[in-house]
Amino acid sequence: MTATAVDHGPAESGGHAEHKSHDRTYVITAIGLAIITFAETATYLWPKVPVWDWGDGVGITVSLLVMMAVKFFFVGAVFMHLKFDNKLLATTFVAGIVLAIGVYLAVLFAFRFFSAGTHMV
Amino acid sequence: MADDTAMLALPAAERPRDLALGVFTRPRSKTGWRSWVNTVDHKKIGIMYGVSALVFLLIGGFEALLIRAQLWSPRNSLLSADQYNQVYTMHGTTMVFLVVMPIGAAFANYLMPLQIGARDVAFPRLNAFSFWCFLGGGIFLNSSWLLGGGADGGWFMYAPNSGVIYSPSHGIDFWNLGLIIAGIASLVGSVNLITTVINMRAPGMSLMKMPIFTWMTLVTQFLLLFAVPVITVAQFLLMFDRLFNANFFNVAQGANPLLWQHLFWIFGHPEVYLMILPAFGIVSDILPVFSRKPIFGYTFIVFSGVAIGFMGWGVWAHHMFVSGIGPVSVMVFSLTTMFIAVPTGVKILNWTATMVGGKLKFDTPMLFSIGLITMFTIGGLSGVSHSIAPADTQQTDTYYIVAHFHYVLFGGAFFGFVGGLYFWFPKAFGVLLNETLGKFNFWFMLIGFNLTFGPMHILGMQGMSRRIYTYDEGFGFTFWNRLATVGAFTLGSSILFLIFNIIYSVRRAKKLGLECPNDPWDARTLEWIAPNPTPEWNFDPIPTVTRVDDFWYRKYEETADHRLVRVATADEVVQHSNGAGVHLPSPSYWPLITAFGIPILCYGLIFTLWLALVGGLLIVAGLYGWALEPPDDPDAGHDHHDDHHGDAGGEHAGEPTEAEAGSEAKEMETVG
Amino acid sequence: MASVTVAEAHGHADHAHETNTGISNNKLAMWLFLGSECLLFGGLITTYLVYKTPLPGQKGPKEVFDIGFTSVSSFVLLMSSLTMVLGHSAIERGDHYRTRLWLTATASLGAVFLSGQIYEFTAFVKEGMGYTSSRFSSAFYTLTGFHGVHVTVGIIMLVSLILLSIRGKLPTERAETVEIVGLYWHFVDIVWVLIFAVVYLIPVGAPV
Repeated sequence: MTATAVDHGPAESGGHAEHKSHDRTYVITAIGLAIITFAETATYLWPKVPVWDWGDGVGITVSLLVMMAVKFFFVGAVFMHLKFDNKLLATTFVAGIVLAIGVYLAVLFAFRFFSAGTHMV
Repeated sequence: MADDTAMLALPAAERPRDLALGVFTRPRSKTGWRSWVNTVDHKKIGIMYGVSALVFLLIGGFEALLIRAQLWSPRNSLLSADQYNQVYTMHGTTMVFLVVMPIGAAFANYLMPLQIGARDVAFPRLNAFSFWCFLGGGIFLNSSWLLGGGADGGWFMYAPNSGVIYSPSHGIDFWNLGLIIAGIASLVGSVNLITTVINMRAPGMSLMKMPIFTWMTLVTQFLLLFAVPVITVAQFLLMFDRLFNANFFNVAQGANPLLWQHLFWIFGHPEVYLMILPAFGIVSDILPVFSRKPIFGYTFIVFSGVAIGFMGWGVWAHHMFVSGIGPVSVMVFSLTTMFIAVPTGVKILNWTATMVGGKLKFDTPMLFSIGLITMFTIGGLSGVSHSIAPADTQQTDTYYIVAHFHYVLFGGAFFGFVGGLYFWFPKAFGVLLNETLGKFNFWFMLIGFNLTFGPMHILGMQGMSRRIYTYDEGFGFTFWNRLATVGAFTLGSSILFLIFNIIYSVRRAKKLGLECPNDPWDARTLEWIAPNPTPEWNFDPIPTVTRVDDFWYRKYEETADHRLVRVATADEVVQHSNGAGVHLPSPSYWPLITAFGIPILCYGLIFTLWLALVGGLLIVAGLYGWALEPPDDPDAGHDHHDDHHGDAGGEHAGEPTEAEAGSEAKEMETVG
Repeated sequence: MASVTVAEAHGHADHAHETNTGISNNKLAMWLFLGSECLLFGGLITTYLVYKTPLPGQKGPKEVFDIGFTSVSSFVLLMSSLTMVLGHSAIERGDHYRTRLWLTATASLGAVFLSGQIYEFTAFVKEGMGYTSSRFSSAFYTLTGFHGVHVTVGIIMLVSLILLSIRGKLPTERAETVEIVGLYWHFVDIVWVLIFAVVYLIPVGAPV
């Protein structure tokens, strides 16, 4: 083990600064995520804020979906390192997501989820 | 969750351990039944998949013969309606999940690592776990026969017919849980095999140099990876409905039974492609050998396989044209279904073009491959006819559908598998199957097959319904049903004949001391560089690959005027080393113990929760034992390699070429 | 995912040249598994969406959800992702003390979230919405229950990591194990991001 430590010594000190900067990124990302979460909750607490109240009820849903996607993206890209890591990993994960969205949206369309509103069975 | 917790494995033995958790001595046996129970060798696991699938084939085949015997004459009373429901449900389920899928897994496990020049899969113990889960699931499912009767809702188990009200026996619970267990096996296996293909190829083996069977395995495993969770969701919902009174398919509470159909077929359609693609891969590797030509359009074959994998996700609702999904859905899925015929057609074209102008040799594997091409084409054409929704409305739930999917799954997948068995049997067991018996076997099977399923087209057009246990005299069904029954028994005999050929050839080889040549077919792909039967260590050293069909081009070279000349005999090319110094993964009991806990847990869910607790504890104990057991046994006899872990680099410094040194470094990480 | 490879365990392997892709087998396997989990949770969320409107006279999302409470527990789970990633970066620096600290924080935040979920479930049951009450309740409990089981498995893995680290069995070379457990943990967090928006916040009856 000691031998290993020596072997890795230089590489580690070299990577030190990089890790520190990552830590900064992590904290900033987390603050951003927290703010978005607050905004999400705000759509419930104050539904009449003009930012998401477009007068037709669609605004809240759309804003929530957008905020959800942004949170999803940043957790994946930063915390799960997809931004820094081998592209193959991101491809694998995105394949799963795209496939899931594709087939399940098709199911929801077949159930007239988007057209029948509450009358859908 | 098995794989999650197990990830916390300890670093491989900083200090040697004799007893894993103080319970078991680390298994060491290399022979006898113990060597099979604790094995993590992909070859042994592949063989076990094959043998288990063969046993399930006999069970499923027996069920098929019961169906055919019942339909021999009008108003027959061999089976009651209820028994008939159970028999056809279990026939379908067994054949799909316990025969065709595991045979695909058998070939994938045995061949894929050999074809990419690896010594084992990425996670050998997980591989063993997959197999034991599959076997446990299969036995669990079939144990329902002894515990109150089999499932009776058809292999697609449509809601709400699968609810407790309509099926009060435990059959469907066994079906549900048994397939969830088998699903764990498939999911874990797919993660394992994909990782192996992506990460563990021999030096020089780029993706576009891989043998086509390996490519098709990769596509198949991706389909499994994404399709299995979908059916798992559906089965969990059904399980909660049946065991805990949830309302997912309870129409009285406003549930929509179509949810089941959607979830089932989102899984179900990729499922049919993942059953056929391994056979496509097998045929694509066999045809060039017996045509003595490289495969026509390697890239097209590969990408049409990948295309089938993608498009297979967009056609599921063609199983639901009559369920009232609405005109838009019907139109969309009609079109996608027509489109998916294109990549399949590309493959058939490529196979035909491979044979055109080749020096064809009609050995048994070749005959079965041609059988696949022709029979699958018939099944494919009847399949395209389903994509036209008005025609499909006529065909739905008739024997025409039964004829169609048997032509693609038996005439397609199974013919390919039998061809593969004849082709690679010497690779696995060092014995050539008898050629005369083999050819007889082929014609026997082909005639039996067409006699069984050919008449079903006509029966379907005449309007005979599937899943109905009898018919009346004046319907005009009797003659064609008799023909199909005669065919079914012929087909059943041909399977027994195949088993006879195996026993006969092995016995004869043993008695006469026949040595199997190392390259009996003048083969092309990498797995034949290893001698027959494949030694425990697969390759020593790991070969460096330079082109597609690498083995072939080590034997033959192209002259300036494009003629092939032999430059080496097979025996010169095949490796003859004794594997000294090769470091292999150590056997382990923990995968078996962990997998053993799962069926116990499931029996508990059905009968008494106390038993579930026992099963759960066993799983947890198995996982922790597994995680705490070093993946590699430092005390096992690895010849002289033993005490040199620390300076392995130094040891390999003496290797003659860089490529080989690289391959030794690769060998280390096969020991996961 | 079962275990580290021997090469890693003996500490003399260079990660970059180990495999064809340079990605370790364990990490690739975890990502493949997570890709597959997308389809699992996708199916459960779809089921929920199809069944989220209650029949007349039954309790629906509007009646039972306490958005304030769920917002707090969502925030807790989100922050556990931060502590997780800080734990990973601590072990990469070789700072084992801080690794344990962050991992403990992560597991604790996870446990707080889980307790919140248990509290929420009991409150719903008290209000008269049991598992079998309606199609909405079955779908809701199954979706969030599946997520809860994933959180539980994550906590077990985190605790195992902490114990390993205390016993000195989690050296810096094995930082990747922490990373892989982290991947799983972040995934569970991501799934909750979806559930929080789709299940709790998007108003029922809104033209989606």
